[in-house]
Amino acid sequence: MEGRAAAATPVIEIRELEKRYGDVHAVRGVSFAIAAGTCVGLLGPNGAGKTTIMRMIMALAEPSAGQLRLFGEAPEALGRTMRERVGLVPQEDNLDPDLSVRQNLEVYGRYFGRSAGDLATRVPRLLDFMQLAERSGAKVMQLSGGMKRRLIIARALIADPELIILDEPTTGLDPQARVLIWRRLLDLKREGKTLLLTTHYMDEAQRLCDRIIIIDGGRILDEGSPQDLIDRHVRGHVFEIAKPLPAGFTEEGLERNDVGDAVLYYANDPAEVTRRLPADATFLRRHANLEDVFLRLTGHGLRQGG
Amino acid sequence: MTAHTDFPAVNRYSHAVWRRNALVWRRLIGPSLCTNVLDPLIFLFAFGYGLGAVVDQVGGMSYLSFVIPGMMCYGAMFAASFESTVSVYARFSLQRTWDAILATPVTLTELMLGEMSWAATKGLFSACCVIVVGSLWGGVASPLGALLAIPVLALGAICFACCGLVATAHAKTWDIFAYFFTFWVTPMFMFSGTFFEVGRFPLVVRIIAWALPMTHLIAVVRPLTAGVALDPWAAAGHLAYVAALAVTAFAIARYRFGARLYG
Repeated sequence: MEGRAAAATPVIEIRELEKRYGDVHAVRGVSFAIAAGTCVGLLGPNGAGKTTIMRMIMALAEPSAGQLRLFGEAPEALGRTMRERVGLVPQEDNLDPDLSVRQNLEVYGRYFGRSAGDLATRVPRLLDFMQLAERSGAKVMQLSGGMKRRLIIARALIADPELIILDEPTTGLDPQARVLIWRRLLDLKREGKTLLLTTHYMDEAQRLCDRIIIIDGGRILDEGSPQDLIDRHVRGHVFEIAKPLPAGFTEEGLERNDVGDAVLYYANDPAEVTRRLPADATFLRRHANLEDVFLRLTGHGLRQGG
Repeated sequence: MTAHTDFPAVNRYSHAVWRRNALVWRRLIGPSLCTNVLDPLIFLFAFGYGLGAVVDQVGGMSYLSFVIPGMMCYGAMFAASFESTVSVYARFSLQRTWDAILATPVTLTELMLGEMSWAATKGLFSACCVIVVGSLWGGVASPLGALLAIPVLALGAICFACCGLVATAHAKTWDIFAYFFTFWVTPMFMFSGTFFEVGRFPLVVRIIAWALPMTHLIAVVRPLTAGVALDPWAAAGHLAYVAALAVTAFAIARYRFGARLYG
């Protein structure tokens, strides 16, 4: 067990954080705190303000208003040491294309002031951890999308950070590649690292996150554990009924969400829906999940740039 | 972030950036050496035989002695200018290498100093290749002077690298570099005394020429390698001008990059 005093200081604490870019109000008063050793997910549609929040935490963008504390201190007071304690996995691939897999880690380690001796032990260990040892001599261009993401994660771990910030760590990857990354992120959590991640994938958020913060339009819509959010916003069972709806089906009193080619109905008691349906009706029935919460809270219209 | 302590900046962090570039370059050392040696040889052939045949003496020395220091400075100028513009812009914009580095303890000033010192290193390397080729060709009258010219060329290369960063800091697309080469690199190549004496040009061109750092650099390097008298006060004035321009350019580039990245 970590000391209580240490556990009591949140790793990240932001209060009424705002960011304006000219006329664009990207973040409009966001407050949250992240406890050490937890994994928190920022969920929101494209343009919700997730990346901007992360950039402000990393001191890569200056907040227009509000307060931000990292490890209990203002980022400018931490200066260089702040960067040593935080690893960033950016959304876009900014691996060094002129260097090999191994060199990417070695060169990055030097940006953290790490000695050659230190890196000689650390780099092979990270290559093993992210299952890249066999490709250590390969050029970045020769790597698959999944390997590139793994290398970016390994790179973020080069200085053994306490906090790891991941901006859409598995976007665009195939299922196997995603599962491997999830496993490693869970390993990191087990080691006591604090994780903050953004994602569009509800299964990813549900699997990894202790707590989820749903944001849209630069504001927090709700937060809580995945189960809390499901309990709070959607009823236990979801029926997905394709359009056109069966003749004679009445939906009065049911909670509904039109998703285009089908309508979702939410009910605590499945019989509430089944008794209204004709015997030969086809439908899909499942437990409510985060996706339903997300659609519920953020709507389901397409976003600009989405 | 601007609030983040940015000095002292010539340290292991800026050196880490320099080493990154040196590591990438190491693979290209063959082609690089080849072009750096062949380039001056081609020039020597063309100008040494072409112009040298008609021009006997320039400024009290053989045309060969006249043109070789000009080419040393040109080598430093071109290599440092190219690296600090096209190459730095590729790492800044296309490859996003800067984004990756700025998420580490390396500050913006350190990153820029790393890039600048690398561009200057390449410039100095080019200049040194010309010193070697020129000496073998018999165009360096004073070997000691050529040795003394090395730190002077290093200062020149630093200045050209800083000036290149100003262009890169303002670049939104690659197009700006066409202007940079047309209005900055080419005039220094043609009017700064590389191949002809500055004094031959009309007054307006002479005024422009003396505003360019290249003219001041050549004014110091040429007497050194040719082994002719050099007024120490005049030399100090030329070097002070080059140094002041370097510092000013770096400060402008730092301000502009800061505003772009964190604004």
